Amino acid sequence: MVEASRPLRVAIADDALLLREGIAKVLEGGGLDVVASVGTGDELVETVRAGGIDAAVLDIRMPPSFRDEGILALEELRAGGSTIGVLLLSMYATPEYALRVMGAGSGTGYLLKERVSEPQTLVRAVETVASGGSVVDPEVVEQLVHRTRADDPLSRLTERERSVLELMAQGYSNGGIAQTLFLGLKTVETHVRSILQKLDLEESPEHHRRVLAVLTLLGAR
Amino acid sequence: MAPGRKGRIIRRSITIGIVVALSLGMEVAGFVATPAAERPEVGYTTLHAIVPLVFAACAGVAWAIGPSRVPARLMVLFPVFWIPVPFLRVVEGLGWLWPLLYGVHLWWGVLTGVLVLLYPRGDLDGRLARWVAGIAFGASLVFLLGTVLLAQPPEEICSCAPNPYAVGEAPVLYAAIDIGYRLVGVLLALVIAARLLVRWVRGSVPARTVAFLMPLALFAWATTLAAQAVTYAASGTADQVLATVSLVAIASIPVSFVAGIAHTRNMRARVADLMRITREGADRGLWAESLARTLRDASVRVYWWDEERGRYADASGEPIVHDPADRHGDHGLLPVASPTGMPIALIRHDRVLTDNMRLLDGVSSALRLSVDNGRLRSEIERTLDQVRQSRARIVEAGDEARRRIERDLHDGAQQRLVSLGMRLRLAANQARDRGMEPLGVELDGNIAMLNDALKELRELAHGIHPSLLSSGGLALAVPELAGRCPVPVEIDVQAEGRLPEVVESTAYFAVAESLANIAKHAQATRAWVRAHLVDGVLEIVVRDNGVGGAAPDGGGMLGIADRVDAVGGDLAIDSPRGAGTTITIRIPVPSPAAG
Repeated sequence: MVEASRPLRVAIADDALLLREGIAKVLEGGGLDVVASVGTGDELVETVRAGGIDAAVLDIRMPPSFRDEGILALEELRAGGSTIGVLLLSMYATPEYALRVMGAGSGTGYLLKERVSEPQTLVRAVETVASGGSVVDPEVVEQLVHRTRADDPLSRLTERERSVLELMAQGYSNGGIAQTLFLGLKTVETHVRSILQKLDLEESPEHHRRVLAVLTLLGAR
Repeated sequence: MAPGRKGRIIRRSITIGIVVALSLGMEVAGFVATPAAERPEVGYTTLHAIVPLVFAACAGVAWAIGPSRVPARLMVLFPVFWIPVPFLRVVEGLGWLWPLLYGVHLWWGVLTGVLVLLYPRGDLDGRLARWVAGIAFGASLVFLLGTVLLAQPPEEICSCAPNPYAVGEAPVLYAAIDIGYRLVGVLLALVIAARLLVRWVRGSVPARTVAFLMPLALFAWATTLAAQAVTYAASGTADQVLATVSLVAIASIPVSFVAGIAHTRNMRARVADLMRITREGADRGLWAESLARTLRDASVRVYWWDEERGRYADASGEPIVHDPADRHGDHGLLPVASPTGMPIALIRHDRVLTDNMRLLDGVSSALRLSVDNGRLRSEIERTLDQVRQSRARIVEAGDEARRRIERDLHDGAQQRLVSLGMRLRLAANQARDRGMEPLGVELDGNIAMLNDALKELRELAHGIHPSLLSSGGLALAVPELAGRCPVPVEIDVQAEGRLPEVVESTAYFAVAESLANIAKHAQATRAWVRAHLVDGVLEIVVRDNGVGGAAPDGGGMLGIADRVDAVGGDLAIDSPRGAGTTITIRIPVPSPAAG
């Protein structure tokens, strides 16, 4: 739990009223301030443009076409210069969507809707994206990692490096990885360097670029 | 079939041989038996001997091609009764025989007359024909009876033995019978000739070409017969020239008969041509033209049944002007109806063609076939089109149902279960806040179970209809599909933009089923999916390096093939044993303008 000087102001967009209220409850329970709750992507974009929003939680499938309105709203926000944290929720763990969300820039996240039953996960994800970090649902990463390929570059990784890679893909920082795996920060940094080297990935100073690079690599296998 | 046919031919050849031998025998024997001074000229006798040979030869042909067996039988009987008068000298000593022979020595004339009456259909049609034939036979019997009972040896012919059957001497009565018989014969021959002539004059060009020789021959014969009868009545000697003309005329009768029948058969062969044109589906104008050519009758008109207006009209839509009830006109009308009784057409043809029912039967069969074929074809095409459309609708409805079920799950059950999970979490937190740790643990377990259920439900909904397909099309959904396949799949999807939903879902499920089969059966280590849109056709190739030998009718694949077929595409499976499997699916993509 990151204690902020003032609560994060969050806007929620979901066409299902039940979930919208539930998400608001969970976030408020986590100390966040839910200032807007709307039913469509367009309304959310308007709300954010009006100002005063730190982060937005969006359902991907919303009216009018029930396809990818949430991602479109994110892309519209980013195109308009907004850098607020945006967390997208989906019923399905779809790597293709996760890549598209990450591709929109830093401060974005993609989680399964059922994470609302894990309040800490949801709250932490909102906080992460609000502070410019990236979040990817573990199930998406699991799907990507388990994709099969004849000459799999992942086969060059040790088991420990694999665990580290999965957390990297989920958007964890080196510090977060160290905490989760009960490792020292130096050890994690060593692992990360080794992984990037083995996978021919560039060491990027920007955190979300690292996530995107890892996801892209996993997805492109 | 063949042995029976062969036996028949042999039997007929033997019959012809016997009658020819008999006839020649009588001719030669008669000639030899006649004293040199009284002999007729050799040329005349030769000609006289040739006549039965012509009949016998024509009998052979008539047997093979005749409309019935009767004409051939008459022709083959002819030589038997073609008894040369000089032959009586050979049997002059046989008193029991010569009166009989003399009584029937003119019967060949009856046979010839009836043969003409039979032309061209091979049976006696009409009251006149039957009367003429009846009178001829009757008169012949009277003459035979008269000869047997009353005849005295004709001194100018032979020095015959006395007639053993004679009941008395009545030379005047016998002379009357003799001359009367000949006159009746001449009269009947004239009637027959006139009948033929009238028909010929009334007939159309086709009929005349068939039968111009016959009335000519008959007329020549009848006139010479008349002249001879008159001379005979006047007890004069027959003129040599007249007799020669008469012989030629008689010999030409069976020849005309056979020639006419052969001509008709030729027409039937042209009906076969008409059938061929019919099969090739010629239009109505062309068909009527071909019919006119077939029947050699330019006056032929075909009136087609106009179902809407309930009348017959020609190809250009002009209604029929001829009154169908007019049975005395120059034309006959042949109605053609389908087997179900639906009128098809009315053929107006030359009246003479009515005599050739078999030819007209052929024509109407051809027409019936043509129209029935056309009707059936258009009916089948219509039905097939309906089936195609309904099949496409079923597939689309199925897709729509899948989308709706997925949406219902997404908006209903899944959302509720997610909310439920959230509530359970809140409850667990509250329980812990109140110090009820065991309840908290219990609720944690329930949440875990609920999340497992949600995961399963997610997979189920995804299988019913992947939301990624709706939102991202094949370009996103196919890689995602390949990612789930346990066999590594190389993907090359080049379908820019979105395709019609039914095309996308058909392609998607086809790839899904193919990859599932690869995972289950192929024992492959590698697979390839290639989807390209070229010239309005989406071509998908799914290939693997497995064991091959895939059955194209494996349950799942058959369903996919049906689906692809329903949207107008096709699916081909190439799966040689041990050399991998390649499935090629081609789906036409309707242009956006069309729908």
